[in-house]
Formats: sequence, structure tokens, C-alpha cells
Amino acid sequence: MDLENEKIGPAYKAPDSYFKETESRLMQRLGIQADVQEKLADDPAVDTAQSAIQTITSAAPLDTTGVQKRARKQDPMTAKSEGINKEVDALGNVVIPPLTFTTNENPEWVNFGAIPEEVSSDADNLDSQIKIVSFADANASTEGEKSVLEAIEVTGEIPIAMEVPVIEDELSPAANETTELVVESPWGDAALIETSINNPLETVEIPVATEPKVIVHEVPESVGLDELESYLTGKNQPAQTPSEQTVDAKIEAAVPLATPRVEEVSSPREMEEKPISLEAPATAFAPIAGRQNESATPGWLGVAAALAAIVAAYFIWTAIQPPKSDTEQVALQEEEATIPEAPLDEQVQTDTIPDGRQIVEPLIMEEMPKYKEPNVYTIIDAADMPERTKLALQDLEDNGLATFDMEDELFEELDFESL
Amino acid sequence: MSHESTQHTIPTNALRLSDCTEDELTAEMLRDGMSSALFEEVVRRYQKSVYYHCRNLLVSHDDADDAVQNAFIKIWQNAQQFRGESLLRTWVYRIATNESINLIRKRKPTIDFDEAQPEMAELISEDLYLSGDDIALKLQKALCFLPFKQKLVFTLRYFEDLSYADIALLTSTSEGALKASYHHAVKKLEIYLNVLH
Repeated sequence: MDLENEKIGPAYKAPDSYFKETESRLMQRLGIQADVQEKLADDPAVDTAQSAIQTITSAAPLDTTGVQKRARKQDPMTAKSEGINKEVDALGNVVIPPLTFTTNENPEWVNFGAIPEEVSSDADNLDSQIKIVSFADANASTEGEKSVLEAIEVTGEIPIAMEVPVIEDELSPAANETTELVVESPWGDAALIETSINNPLETVEIPVATEPKVIVHEVPESVGLDELESYLTGKNQPAQTPSEQTVDAKIEAAVPLATPRVEEVSSPREMEEKPISLEAPATAFAPIAGRQNESATPGWLGVAAALAAIVAAYFIWTAIQPPKSDTEQVALQEEEATIPEAPLDEQVQTDTIPDGRQIVEPLIMEEMPKYKEPNVYTIIDAADMPERTKLALQDLEDNGLATFDMEDELFEELDFESL
Repeated sequence: MSHESTQHTIPTNALRLSDCTEDELTAEMLRDGMSSALFEEVVRRYQKSVYYHCRNLLVSHDDADDAVQNAFIKIWQNAQQFRGESLLRTWVYRIATNESINLIRKRKPTIDFDEAQPEMAELISEDLYLSGDDIALKLQKALCFLPFKQKLVFTLRYFEDLSYADIALLTSTSEGALKASYHHAVKKLEIYLNVLH
């Protein structure tokens, strides 16, 4: 398509009524019509031309039949205004029937997610589909937990259920008879420990003895006060029978965590009597006893190292010496052979070519053949060009050799005084 | 305002103003200032072309309507600043162009006038007062793919038939630059139209 030869008309065509309405609106805003009428009334010379002065727009009633009154919808993000299309806007609007339900329980327990979509649109069937979960229903499911909680509240005792396997082979008769175990309770009060033992396990109730036992020992006079503690310790250790040890070990193995344990705490006296050792702890780096024999080094290696040190010192010394004076430097240069310089290229005689052409001639010779009419070149930094270059470009443009598309202040704010 | 203090000459024959040429109208304004009758004649004479010029630049009818209203109000309020260095029509076009640029900047403050605004092409077919000419509509859509500078020069030259000298005065740029911009615009539009065709 050739736009230069094929003239295409404008795409817009507003009716005359719009322009008349716009004109009358403008005149009303500026109050011009009244002004004209007043001046015409004051001047008798224009009586004959009064009818001609009155414009069609001002004389004729306002015709707004062709004007479409539209609401404008502006996008707050893009600030674009669009006409409201009611048909398009009506799409997507869904009328949702009101959802009603009656409950005297907590409405948070109504499971809305369980209502399918097809049911939710049917108001009659909706009530039957709503499952109301009351607080009482929720409690019924956790009855077992509740009874445990009540037992704790009433008795104040903590029932501990544990399974203890009974190994009959290893239990002695004495151990079988003994069903009461003395357990040092951390609470100090009597604690009931229930052991539910199924077949072959059996339930054993172990009452906890709380009365302390007082044991009186006879100490011979030969035992001094310093040795009294160790003596009593030896006396207090009962000789445990293998059967008792086995029972204790079994119970400990069977009840590793549920049984309350008392940690052994060393007495304050023991803490005080621990001597503080100031000696260093034993380490893996013990001193090596004896001296190892070094390997013999050849004698010539030392001589070579000394020579290398001397050479290095010489270079360092020469490097840190101050520079030679200018006269010495000149003398040194004179000694060196000088290379004769080649004669400079002769100056190109360019006086015959205008200055402007000289600058842009390479551009013309290289770029111009690429273009046909018009020879258009885009120059971005025209404002920063030297004045001489601008004159040259202007010279080319004036002679019709080229057209330059220069960046300019086209869209700077235009002032009214410039025209 | 100065136009109120100036003693405007009441035209003795309104038909005389409507028969005036561009030069005579400019001379009338320079001699007697912007009278009410002269302003009405200016509005009547340039309203359509200014509207289509703003519509070409802004695409939207509502924006063009706002730009035209603001432009004529400024013409009335700043009539005393017209110094006659160009035709009255060129001055009117300049103010309308300025208003269009201001409106675009107001709608989109971060706009770059060296960049095209292709999203405006989608608004053309939905707006009011279209001529119905298919090829003209395609040309308008293709105009949206031009940088604003080239779009302005093309519309002033192609649709409004302003000379390069008038456009140079209007845009405060050289004729050479305008020719280059117009040339670039034509070439790009031909490519776009061939693609859209």
C-alpha cells in the first residue's frame, strides 16, 4: 500500500449535532453569548446586521438528539475511561439464594463444607443436609478421656498403668511371696501404683511404705571419726540375694519410664571434700623422651645457599639506588644508537572542500548509497554536537543532499509567546 | 483578563468574518484582538479539524472532547499572547496539541513519547463516531504503533494538510526533522497496513 498516492480519509466522523452542542457548551462556559448580545443591543449601527450576527447555534434550540449520554467508567489503575456496556457488565452476576438455618448451638459447628452445591440451591432440601454438631455430641465421642479426667479430679491420685512381665523361672519363692515393694516416693505420701498384668501377667498392688527405718549400729572404738562413714557404708550395704537382685533388675527393666525415679544427689559434704587439682590433665602430647638424630646435610648445599643470598642482595641493592641524574641519562641515551624517524605524511590539502563537507564526507560516502530518496539519517545527539558540525549538517540539508532526523525539543512544553 | 479591557471592535457584519481567509482572520485578530464574534468564528471554523486532530492523537472521544474544550478556553483566555508570527490556525493547532499532550501525561504520567502506545489500538473500534471505513480504521490502528512524535507529524501533514513550514512553527522544530519523521511514519504505516491487510 502506498500511502502517498492513496489518500485514506479519517476514521472518525462526528455528527454536526455534536459540534453544535459542543460550541454552545463552550460559549455558555465562557459567557460569550450574553456579551455579544449586550454589545449588539447597545450599538444601533448593527441593528440591520443583528440577525446575521446571531449564529445558528445560539439562535437555534439545543439539539441533543444525536448525542449519546454515556456514563464513564474509569479504571483507577490505568486511568482509562471506558463506556459502560450494560450487557457485558450483566454477565457473571449470579443471584445467590439466601441460606437460612436454625440452631441454638454454636453456629461454628455447622459443617458448611458438607453441603453440595446442587443442594445448596434447593432451599427445601437444605435443612436436611445440614449436620448440626452440638457441643454435647462432641463430648460424647471423648467419653473415655472424660472418665479419666473425672478420676483425677475426685481421687487426686495419678493412676499409672504399666505392664510388668513375670518370668517365673527366675523368680525365687521368696520373691513370689513378696508383693509389697518399698519404693522411695518423691512425693513423700503414700502413692498407689497399680500394675495391670494380664495373663501371664497379673495385677499387683504395691503400697508404698512411707515410714522411715532407723537402724542402730554398734561401732567399735578402734574406728575413728574419719573412718566412721566408710565403716557405716560397709555395714549398711545388705547382702542381696541373687533372687532379690534379679527381681529388682527385672522390675527396673520392665518399668523404665513410668516409675518415678529419684536421682542420686551427692551430699554437700562429698562436694566439699573433693580436692581441686591444679595440675594439668594428662594429654596425648606427652614429651618425647630422648633426642632424635638429625639426618646429615651435604656441605655443598650451604655454599650454594650463601652464593644465592649474595646475588639476591646485589639485585636488591641496585634496585633501591636513587635514579640517575638527567645528564647521566642523556649521556646514556647518546651512547645508544638512534633510529632516524620517518618523515611525516604530507598534509592533505583540504582547503578546496568546504569545512562542513570535510566532516561529514565519510558519512556521506559510506551511508548515502544505502538510501534512496529521501536520504534520511537519524542523529540522536544533535544537541550536543559542536556548532561546526551543525552548520555542516545544515549545509547538507539546505543543498538537498540529505535529511537529518535530529532529536530536538519537540515535546518540551510549548509556550504561548513563541508564536 | 486583558481581552475584557481591550476595546474590541464589534463586527458590523458577521458574514464578513466567515468570508475571511486565514490571513485576513489573523490580521483581524492582531488589529482588534479576540472579540467575541471573532472567537465564535474561530470556534466555528476550527472546531471540527481540531477535534479530529485531538481524536487522532488521543483515540478516545471523551479525551478528545475534553482537549478541545480546554484548548478553546485557553485560546480565549490567552488571546493577547498571540504575536502573529504564525497563522491563527497554526496557533490554534499548537494549543490543541499542547492540551492533548497534557491530557496524555495526566492519564499516564510515566508515558514516554518516544515509545508507541499499541494498547490504544484496541480502544478504537469500541469508541464513538467512527466513519465505518475499514481501511481508515486500520490506518488509525496502525497509527497507534508509531511513536507520538511521528504520529503527530503524520496526522498534521496527512489529515490536516498542514505544510511543513506550518508544522515546523507549530512544533518548534526544523523542517528537515519533520520530513524525516514523516518519512519514517509513512514507511512504518505501510508495513503495518500490509500486515493488517
